[in-house]
This record gives sequence, structure tokens and C-alpha cells, in this order.
Amino acid sequence: MVPVARRMLFTDRRRAVLGVVGVAIALVMVLALDGIFAGTTRQVSRYIDTSPADVFVSQEGVRTIHMAISAIPARVVDRVSKVRGVAWAEPVLFASDALRAAAGRRASYVIGYQPGGRGGPQTLVEGRPPETGEMVIDDSVARALDINVGDEVEVLGRSWRVSGLTTGMTSIVNTSVYVTFDDLAQTLGSRDVASYILIGTGADPQSVADRVAVIPGVEAQTRPRFSAEERTVVKEMSTDLLSLMSLAALLVGLAVIGLVLYATIISRLRDIGVMKAIGLGRLGLTRFVLAQALWTIGTALPLAVAVTFGIGAVVAALAPDIDLVVESASLLRAGAGAVLVGAIGVISPLIKVWRVDPATVFRRAS
Amino acid sequence: MSEPTLAARQLEKTYGEDATLVHAVRHVDFEVEPGEVVLIMGPSGSGKTTLLSMLGAMLRPTSGEVLVNGVDIAAVPEARLPKLRATTFGFVFQDFNLLGALTALENVELALNLAGTSGRTARERAEELLARLGLAGRLTFRPDQLSGGEKQRVAIARALANQPPVILADEPTANLDSKIGHEIARLLRAIATEEQRAVVMVSHDSRLKEVADRVVWLEDGVFRDLDDMTTDPVCGMSVHSEGAPHLQAEEGILYFCSRACRDEYAAASVSGRPPTASDVNIPNEA
Repeated sequence: MVPVARRMLFTDRRRAVLGVVGVAIALVMVLALDGIFAGTTRQVSRYIDTSPADVFVSQEGVRTIHMAISAIPARVVDRVSKVRGVAWAEPVLFASDALRAAAGRRASYVIGYQPGGRGGPQTLVEGRPPETGEMVIDDSVARALDINVGDEVEVLGRSWRVSGLTTGMTSIVNTSVYVTFDDLAQTLGSRDVASYILIGTGADPQSVADRVAVIPGVEAQTRPRFSAEERTVVKEMSTDLLSLMSLAALLVGLAVIGLVLYATIISRLRDIGVMKAIGLGRLGLTRFVLAQALWTIGTALPLAVAVTFGIGAVVAALAPDIDLVVESASLLRAGAGAVLVGAIGVISPLIKVWRVDPATVFRRAS
Repeated sequence: MSEPTLAARQLEKTYGEDATLVHAVRHVDFEVEPGEVVLIMGPSGSGKTTLLSMLGAMLRPTSGEVLVNGVDIAAVPEARLPKLRATTFGFVFQDFNLLGALTALENVELALNLAGTSGRTARERAEELLARLGLAGRLTFRPDQLSGGEKQRVAIARALANQPPVILADEPTANLDSKIGHEIARLLRAIATEEQRAVVMVSHDSRLKEVADRVVWLEDGVFRDLDDMTTDPVCGMSVHSEGAPHLQAEEGILYFCSRACRDEYAAASVSGRPPTASDVNIPNEA
């Protein structure tokens, strides 16, 4: 079959390029929004994902760190330690506040851990672990707020001296800072309480979690499960906003697809009249317009993916806090959205071509 | 006499109603035999295009029948008309109407695709047709790379692609110089004779008379008797004598296309030399 739809679409290269680029821009908006969101949710659970703990214990009914307060009596740590399969158990305290420095502030998770324990930063790129009155902050925030090791910062209403820098713990949403357990307990005024208990296992984590969960008043989840819960709560908080922004981007795509096809149809009305005159029926016309829409979307989607990956690389270089992750589910969503808006976008051009009078072929071309 | 390939019976087309009613074509009866070339002539606005549109199944008549090999295509449901047009008619247009985005070969191949022939069969048939019309070296050329005569030959190849019994040609020579126009006219004549197709041409070009088996004159939506046709001595237009402005001259009754031509002729006669088309800047074929 002669690929007449594709030929007509791409014969006017300028219009075709503008159309494809327009649709691609709309798809880039969708993909980039999705990518930033996916990257952010991934970053939000970074403390959990990089922890050596296999099981996380929290107060009964609390399944996340974000948007939750967990308090477990300190004595539970000993009880947990004695559960079969538990290799080690360490309490951590958790609070949230803004880290303030002369150059600005950043929302922070404040994590109190036992010196030399496993709940602290997994890597130190500069300095040393915190002692009393000190904290370790992320190197990205240090750069952003012009903080150096040895500088004073303010968190939870008091001053802390920066003893070292860790890395990879800052997202577009917040950062993590580390202090000693006792220091944070004193600052919070909490006694004999832990927020979470980290557990290392020598056996199947799920079995250990099941055994720990029998202890009254606690919730025990494996690391992947706890991480997933953490990401879910962030997603649920942002889904409506993200959906609205994605919808706006798709509407832009819809307008572009509709306009491109309509403009193509308008500029080719005589050709369409000729095709109708020589035997193209309504079904053929529908295929013709749909093929043009699919070609536009099919060309724009890979372009959009490539551009989004390019943006991701640029963002990673310029703004390490922003993690742009293009997931296959996001590609499928963008593709499906593009096909959907394409299907809607062809309605008007389709009605136009259906109405073209084949007898126009007998009128003189202007 | 064989059965006509194409016939119109009491064909009528009106537009509007009551005070705005316009009779574009009035009760036309018309037949074209296989292998016959019929030339329809007439002034602008006479209903030629409306008639051609109805004959080509692009316009529904208000009443009457259009029979192709005995089948009334005016009664065919709308959904079946495209396929019927693809297989029954070959169209040749004044503006060629080739698809600019396609090559010469693809333009012909598309017509075959629309009639249900695709793949290698369609390609070979298109190549064969174009080669037969002397365009073997132009297969991959786009219309804007072809001369007027070449474009019209591609259009004729497209019209012949599905071996239709009827070829409808609308001003097929109008955009061509006289030599190429003559070639195209002879080509259409040959197609009619050799392939026994019925060819209907609508044109202002009186040179096409030489290839036509029959010439009919359409005016005000009605076929006129050619015996009653005469020529306006001022502008050179063909004029039907019935109801036309006229005057009595030494050489007999003269008929004019309009009162303006008659008055011009009368005024010039008084001054001693009757005007001609070259004097009055009126185109020969309006």
C-alpha cells in the first residue's frame, strides 16, 4: 500500500517538524514530571534503602518515617535482641525540622543514632562522625548552603557544629542529618524512648519480622516493605498535584496534535477531495487521519524519551539533589496518554475530511 | 447498436428552493457507447461540471438515472460510492490533481490500492501503465518535477489503473500548450478506440472536436441541437440561436452571446467596419 498518510504528513517538513516537536515537548513535560516524582520518592526512602538493617521496628500502627511519629519504649530493644534470628538491634531517634544556616535553610530528617552504630551515615566524604553537640550533614546541602565542616548550624532550636559530611541523602524534598542518640534524646526531652529499632538478621528477614511483630505494641517490616510504604505515602501525598500537572501537559499535547493534524488536513483538502473522488471511503479516510496521528505520536515519543534522558543527565550534573528517573511504567503511561490525546485530537480533523466534497476536484485550483 | 456503457435518463439537478431554486441540469438524456468519445461543450455556468459530477457518482441527482452498463449508480447507497468510483470511473482533470506528496508511480499505485489491488501486483500494473504512456523514466518523479503534459499522462495512467469502463475528463487540455493538448486528445481517443472505453470530455476547447465522435452543447442545463448553433461575430463564442440577441444584417440574421456584442456590432456597422474579436478584447472562449 502506498503510505499516503505518512507522505502527506512529512512532505511539508517544517510543519511536520513543528508538530512532532510540539507533541514531544508535551510528552517531555509528562515524562520529566513523572521522572522527577519517581526520583524524589526513591530519594525519600534513601535512608531506609541504604541502611544495613534487614528489619525495621516501629510503634504499632506506624509503617513509615515520613508523616509519622513513632515511639517505642527503650526496653523493647532488649526484648527484640533476644528474638530468634536477630543478629543485632539498635534504636534510632527521629525528628524533623529545618536545618538553618546563614545562607538559607533546608527541611531535614534528624536521625539520632548510637555512636559507632549502624543507624548513622553509611559513608563520610569528609570529617568524622558526630559527638555531643555535633552533626553530620549531606555534602549537597553543605554546598547549597555554603556550610563547611566546623561551621555552626541550627536545628531543633539549638546550635550544632558540623563534624562531617555524608553524601546522597538529599532530595528535592529534604535532607537527612545525623546526631548522636543521646544528644537528640536530650534535645527532644525524651527519656527511654526510641523512634525505630533497626535489626540485622542472620536468617530470613520476613520470618524475623514476623517473630518480632508478636511483641506487643510494635510493627515490624522488612527493609523492602518499609521502603515501599515510605514511597507510597509520599506518592499518595503528591499524586493529585502530579496528576493535574500531567493532565495539563497532556492537554498541551492534545492541542498540538489536534492543531497539527487540522492544519495538515486544511492544507491538503484538495488532495483529500481527489482521494475521495478516486475511491477513498470513510473507513479509509479514518485510517488516513489516524495514521497521521500515530506517525506524529510515534515520532514524538522516542524523541521525548531521548530528550527526557538528556534533561536527566543535565539535571544530574547541575542539580544533584534532583533525581530524574524514567521508569518503564512512566513510558507506558506517557505512551498511552499520547495515544489517548491523539485519538481525541483526530476527531475534529476527521469530521473535516469526512465532509470534504469529492466534487471539489472539478473546481479550479487557486 | 451496442448497449450504452454510460447513460443518463431524465437527469435533473436543482439547488435551493422556491425563490432561490436553480435548475443546474434539466431532464438530460444522454448515452455513450463503448469506444465512443463524446465532447460536452457549453458556456461557463451551463451545468457541465454539475453534469460531470453526477455522471461520476460524486453528486446525487435530484431526479433521474445514471446507468453504467445498465446499473443505476444514482441509486447506489452512499457507503458504496467510493468503491464504485474507484472501479467504474477514471477521472482526468484540468489541474491534473495528482497528489503532490507522492511520486508518479505512487499516484497510479494509490488508485489501484483504493480499488483493492495492492503489493507487487499494484506496483507492476502502475509501472506498466506509466511505461505505456512514455513515462518509464519518470516513475520516481514527484508532480512538481514533471511537465504539464507528463502530469496529464500520469493522471491518465491513474484513470486507467483499474480498467474502468468510463473515462470522465474535465477540460483535459486546458492547462497544456496546443501541441501537448493535441497529444493528450489523441491519447484519449486511442484509449477509447483500443480499449473500448466510453470517454466523456467536458471542454471549452473546440480543437477536441476532431477526436470526438459526437459533440453536444449544454446551455442552461439543457442539451441544445448543434444545428441551431452559430458563432457570435464579435467575440467568436458559440451561441445557440434560440432566444439569443440578434440583428438582421446584409448576410442574414446574426446571433450574439449578449446584447453588448450585438450593440457593439451595430455601432461598428454604422461607422463602416463591423468589429471582430481582435478589435474588442473579448476572449474567444469565455
